[in-house]
Amino acid sequence: MIDEWYPVGLFGQIENGWKTALMGEPIEVAFDPGREVKVTSEDGRTLPVCVRYGHVWSSLGKPRKDLFAIPEADQPGRRFVEVGVVRVRCSPLRAVENFLDIAHFPFVHTDILGAEPHTEVHDYKVEIRQDEVWATQVKFYQPQAAKSAAGGITTEYMYRVPAPTCSVLYKTCPPRPGEWDVIALFVQPLAEDLCDVWPWMALFDDVTPMTDLIHFQQTIFLQDRSILENQIPRLLPLDPGMEIPTRADLTSVAYRRWLKRHNYKYGAQLVAQ
Amino acid sequence: MPARTPAGPIALWRSQSGHAAASADRCPHRGMRLSHGFVRGEALSCIYHGWSYARPGNCLRIPAHPGLTPPETIRVATHEVEESGGVIWVAVGEPTIQPPRLEGLAPLRSLTAHAGIAVLEAVVGAKAGPEGLVWQAQNSQEIRLLLVPQEDDHTLIHVLLDEKSSASQRVAASRAIESLRRTAEYLQAKGIAS
Amino acid sequence: MKLYDYVLSPSCYKVRLMAALTGVKLEIRPVDFHPGAEHRSPELMALNPAGSIPILEDDDLILTESAAMLVYLAAQAGPEWLGSGTPEQTARVQQWLSFSHRLTASLGGARLHEMLLRPGDIAKLQAQGIAALRELESGLVEQGLRGMRFLASDRPTVADIACFPYVALAPDGGVPLDPYPGIRLWSRAIRGLEHFIEMPGIHRLHELKSEPDAEPGEA
Repeated sequence: MIDEWYPVGLFGQIENGWKTALMGEPIEVAFDPGREVKVTSEDGRTLPVCVRYGHVWSSLGKPRKDLFAIPEADQPGRRFVEVGVVRVRCSPLRAVENFLDIAHFPFVHTDILGAEPHTEVHDYKVEIRQDEVWATQVKFYQPQAAKSAAGGITTEYMYRVPAPTCSVLYKTCPPRPGEWDVIALFVQPLAEDLCDVWPWMALFDDVTPMTDLIHFQQTIFLQDRSILENQIPRLLPLDPGMEIPTRADLTSVAYRRWLKRHNYKYGAQLVAQ
Repeated sequence: MPARTPAGPIALWRSQSGHAAASADRCPHRGMRLSHGFVRGEALSCIYHGWSYARPGNCLRIPAHPGLTPPETIRVATHEVEESGGVIWVAVGEPTIQPPRLEGLAPLRSLTAHAGIAVLEAVVGAKAGPEGLVWQAQNSQEIRLLLVPQEDDHTLIHVLLDEKSSASQRVAASRAIESLRRTAEYLQAKGIAS
Repeated sequence: MKLYDYVLSPSCYKVRLMAALTGVKLEIRPVDFHPGAEHRSPELMALNPAGSIPILEDDDLILTESAAMLVYLAAQAGPEWLGSGTPEQTARVQQWLSFSHRLTASLGGARLHEMLLRPGDIAKLQAQGIAALRELESGLVEQGLRGMRFLASDRPTVADIACFPYVALAPDGGVPLDPYPGIRLWSRAIRGLEHFIEMPGIHRLHELKSEPDAEPGEA
């Protein structure tokens, strides 16, 4: 996992330098005299940098490929929402897994993303596409699916895991049928059981003020945070047996298997303890 | 509500019909603490996905699959619970004896001290027995303390008082126990520092 | 009445909660506190030179202290929230309103540090938070012994609303609430009030709603 790209800051907020950490190592993000973004480790190494989707990305190792593509980020007419950082005392992998889950909506995001009695998770499709986890045809009844949604609708989702600590979600876009709103969760692993989460969105919504869009997403994520900090163990168990999945959890099952196959185990627990 | 016992963290809850129950404080689905959950009728539900469990620990309902009867294999570990004189006792393993009957005493409050049992005993000047610790506080009547060791050398203290105590006596005892805690925590911190 | 509001701010939530409980309709003006730091913008600084939110604006009246906002809402729409008016209750209400600032400084500071990466001496903030929670717990225990469920009375007052949010969100700042059974009962009593509203981090009391009938197995 050391050779992967990770988000380390908002590009718009590094003017005075940004001190953070990546997988246990303190790092600093700043502009060099030529106005290029520079990421430095504590021992003085210059780390790989790329700036994409409003964020600065870096790695402690040598990334073998470019940062994953989100083609919608280049589509005209979309608004990009930088939601800002939220720190969570949990494994970065638990944060991603929660993002892939819909069955918790009625209980954790009550009256926004879900509500009793509409708790049923209908069967959906999970597959590996070009070495990414994809879940499609995910449908769920939602009282207020987005800031722009006026009433309850059945929303369709697609989920994608292109990197071990990042997930991209595509969901029905009420103002533009046929298009998908894009909501991404970029997770920066600070330690195996501590992460900074950077939600980001690319939406078709010309009406809602930017601050409202930010607050909507922060509301959702902060509702999740109190769950994420109370899961035992903090690390994500990759071996079956420690936790019991059902059909509704197929995305999570595929994600855990994919992590295990790639030996992505930073933030994971391999043997039941 | 959450509680810590020598058998690990538990979720302690009371069903609508009034029965107290204790289960492991972890939902086997995704590891969420069940003490954050909610009680409806005779079941405890997890706050994360609403999976609900009966008092014996078997899973009753998985809301994501409303038509499904959960298999018997999905269950949480439970502990035997006894209620006696306003005190709830949780058994670690199979209990061989009944909890003590604390005749004439009524529970006052529970609080946690950042001090170990030995330090608390030293401050009181007595050793705790099966029926707790008897403390004759200054300016107060006799106070009974039930001590439960917690993580990090903390102690959960259940305070009981003569059931015939007046309201002002109870307030005085509540304040006295806080003074006891202050003294014990001071000694504990000093002991670690020296 | 216009509230300059941040959805994750417990102080702003106090005002929204009080308004909901007393049936006052607020005009909400969202402020991009994080990540935008809009509370420090010229427009907001002109309203409140202290650079804090919430700000409550009602014609000529501009309030920048949440306790004053609670009192204003209660005086207008629900005087029973100010206490019965006996010297003792009036004093208890004031006691806990003043005390609530210590919760903001300690538990609120710890939360901003742990959640939104604001600077601070986290160990000290958490220790001060624990001290404040213990005081609150004792106060509630003693009220219980007097036969009262809330901080100043047997019914909730502005004092309870002033203290509740930072207490309920203490775990956000790494301060567990497990050791305080009195606070737990009090918090549940507040969350069970008619017209209570939530904020992120304070979950719905799902037990207030009955179990939905099991839907027949659908194809």
